[in-house]
Amino acid sequence: MPDEGRTGPHGGGGNADVPEIERPGGIDRRSLLKLVGAGALGAGAAAVLSSSAGASSVLRSARSSRLTSAKSGTIHIGYITPRTGALAGFAESDPFVLKKIRSTSQYHKGITVGGKRYSVKITVADSQSTTNRAAQVAQQLALSTKVDLILTANAPETTNPVASAAEQYHTPCLATVVPWESWYAGLGGDPLEPTKTFKYCTVFFFGMKEFAGTFLPMWERVQRETKADKVFAGMYPNDADGNAFREGFPPFAEKLGYTFVTGGSYTDGTSTYSSMIGKFKSGNCTFYSNAPLPPTFNTMWKQAITEGYKPKLATVAKVLLFPSTVAALGKLAENIATDAWWTPFSPYKSSLDGTTTHALAKEWQDSSGNLWWQSLGSSYSLFEVAVEAFKAVDTPHDHAAVAAALHKVHYTGMCGPIDFANGPAPGVGIILPVGVQWKPGKKIFGKKFPWEPFVVDNALNKHVKITGDLVAGTY
Amino acid sequence: MQWVNAIVQGMVTGGFYALFACGLSLLFGVMGIINLAHGDLAIIAAYVAITLVPATHLPMVWGFVVVVPIFAVGGYVLQRTLLQASLDRSPFTTLLVTFGLSVIIENVLLEVFSANGQSISIGTLITNSFALNNVITISWFSLTVLGVAVAVLGALQLFLSRSRTGRLIRAVADDREAAQLSGANYRHLFGVAAAIAFATVALAGLSYGMLTEFAPTSGVTTLLFAFEAVVIGGIGSLWGTLVGGIVLGVAQQLGAQINPAYQILAGNLVFLAVLAVRPRGLFGLRTA
Repeated sequence: MPDEGRTGPHGGGGNADVPEIERPGGIDRRSLLKLVGAGALGAGAAAVLSSSAGASSVLRSARSSRLTSAKSGTIHIGYITPRTGALAGFAESDPFVLKKIRSTSQYHKGITVGGKRYSVKITVADSQSTTNRAAQVAQQLALSTKVDLILTANAPETTNPVASAAEQYHTPCLATVVPWESWYAGLGGDPLEPTKTFKYCTVFFFGMKEFAGTFLPMWERVQRETKADKVFAGMYPNDADGNAFREGFPPFAEKLGYTFVTGGSYTDGTSTYSSMIGKFKSGNCTFYSNAPLPPTFNTMWKQAITEGYKPKLATVAKVLLFPSTVAALGKLAENIATDAWWTPFSPYKSSLDGTTTHALAKEWQDSSGNLWWQSLGSSYSLFEVAVEAFKAVDTPHDHAAVAAALHKVHYTGMCGPIDFANGPAPGVGIILPVGVQWKPGKKIFGKKFPWEPFVVDNALNKHVKITGDLVAGTY
Repeated sequence: MQWVNAIVQGMVTGGFYALFACGLSLLFGVMGIINLAHGDLAIIAAYVAITLVPATHLPMVWGFVVVVPIFAVGGYVLQRTLLQASLDRSPFTTLLVTFGLSVIIENVLLEVFSANGQSISIGTLITNSFALNNVITISWFSLTVLGVAVAVLGALQLFLSRSRTGRLIRAVADDREAAQLSGANYRHLFGVAAAIAFATVALAGLSYGMLTEFAPTSGVTTLLFAFEAVVIGGIGSLWGTLVGGIVLGVAQQLGAQINPAYQILAGNLVFLAVLAVRPRGLFGLRTA
């Protein structure tokens, strides 16, 4: 008997211990029982008596769900994303994407699998940007909710523990917005010799080769123009992304004659970066690359400018991907470059209903008042790939078959062509990013924003239109 | 020279830690309250600033004019109601109550402001600096924070030792019953102490919001550093808190100079060493 009745540590108290459940038609009996049960568990000492009753109702409801889902006519998809916490910026457009997805006929009317039509239910769970919480909700979705597929996105803090749990509990899993090396290493593989296949886990995104293919052409252009020294600073923290970058990125730059100055593997949450900045200054690092947590970069960059470290071009990863983080830095973010894995300037469209990238960005802007968001495309494509995989199997509840189908998906959708069978590692599909620079906004879809990312380099993906000029930084 | 730079930057950072720790030190020193919501209260101050200050048309850097009085009043009210009520029960109740406050504050902030990081933008003031030589550059803002920390702690020290209210607060802290017999209204005095503590929390929260990005969950890490500064310096000693903050800042920077991975570790090791060798801290009167 697996321990599906447990709702984990009661830190947050109350129903914060239950995955946030979103569905159009209110709350059904089962989730109501779960909420009541976990609420009692979280309520602390006063609820000792009722908590045992609460726990047993969770167990009971989990058991009944297993009985029904075994031959149910519903495909149940779990989606784990950091709705709150340090990485919440990644997931800000998720509610909009889910609304769009639920309005497509596949998700609204159902998916036909093996000649039978299945309705689709999506349960959304918040990883709170922490690995512990992500692992906990993944376990819940796999064992108690018994989902047929787990989708997860938005940085390794969420995707890696979820993938590990999915592999462990034999539930098909598809991740995105995580460098594939960091995802692969998180599952226990060696990205330098990627021969191992993980039966239940797949990912589509890109890796160090594509980061290098996006950033280095920009460095080369700025270097030719400014005749700057070929030295670059690497600020890579001691976490999944940082370690993937420290190992994987510098070799590509060194091949082009750049010297690497490392800032050392610092701990996330560090508050002063003077020693690192001193190193970059004395090393005369004209190019700057990183992969930090968003609040870290804000602090570090302010200190760097204060202490007089001014590279010719900063190409950042994992931060300044979204308008909200740029707004927090304001003018200091001008002409910082980053990667964009999805933009409204490509000719791609939805494999579900033909919505173009342009239309998706416009609709998001009209409904939210925000500028286009890169994760609109990646989150959207998760649900496209899910449909592709389910269409290829006989029954959606056969986890091994769905997982095998995921490994074979080859289609073109919101993020362009994705081929899981011919990636750099088993179960890895590659999408191609372009280089963008943040500059004062011009009008887009009839509205002007203070800061806007302009596509300045499309060396890796010529499908995406150039919308601005690459400019050396005057930070 | 890099090592000298590490020490200088550590001292400047230490000023910020000391400012942060000041309110914590005062609340514990006077009332024996370990305020676990300290960090979250500072984050509230930053949110209050970005919400209210734009409406006053003051430059953001003057935000403290708006936020500090609000916090002082809030501190007095909170002390007279919730904190005093829990203090009347037992010291452990205050620990639980402030922990509860911390959880509630975090979740309410998440509901109201979402988890997105924000920053109090004061334009180029934040990045203005002066160079001592080609290695050491000091930020004006951080130096100002250090100056504010010294001034606040100094003023508090004077207030507690020279003014009538200050002396009454110390009397109540030392022996509440005896002070009450002499006619001191300890509830009011505790309120005044809390008001001062909250005002310094607001100052610390605003400088934090200007220096970096904050989110509803940022309070916890800042609480840890403030706590370490108080314990290193010695509980109940205000000047000790200043020294504690600076020791912590310098230790972190020296650790980072050896290897950036050791920055936070070095601070924690100094904290542990002080606890092991001198449990009442460098200048402390009581044991931690």
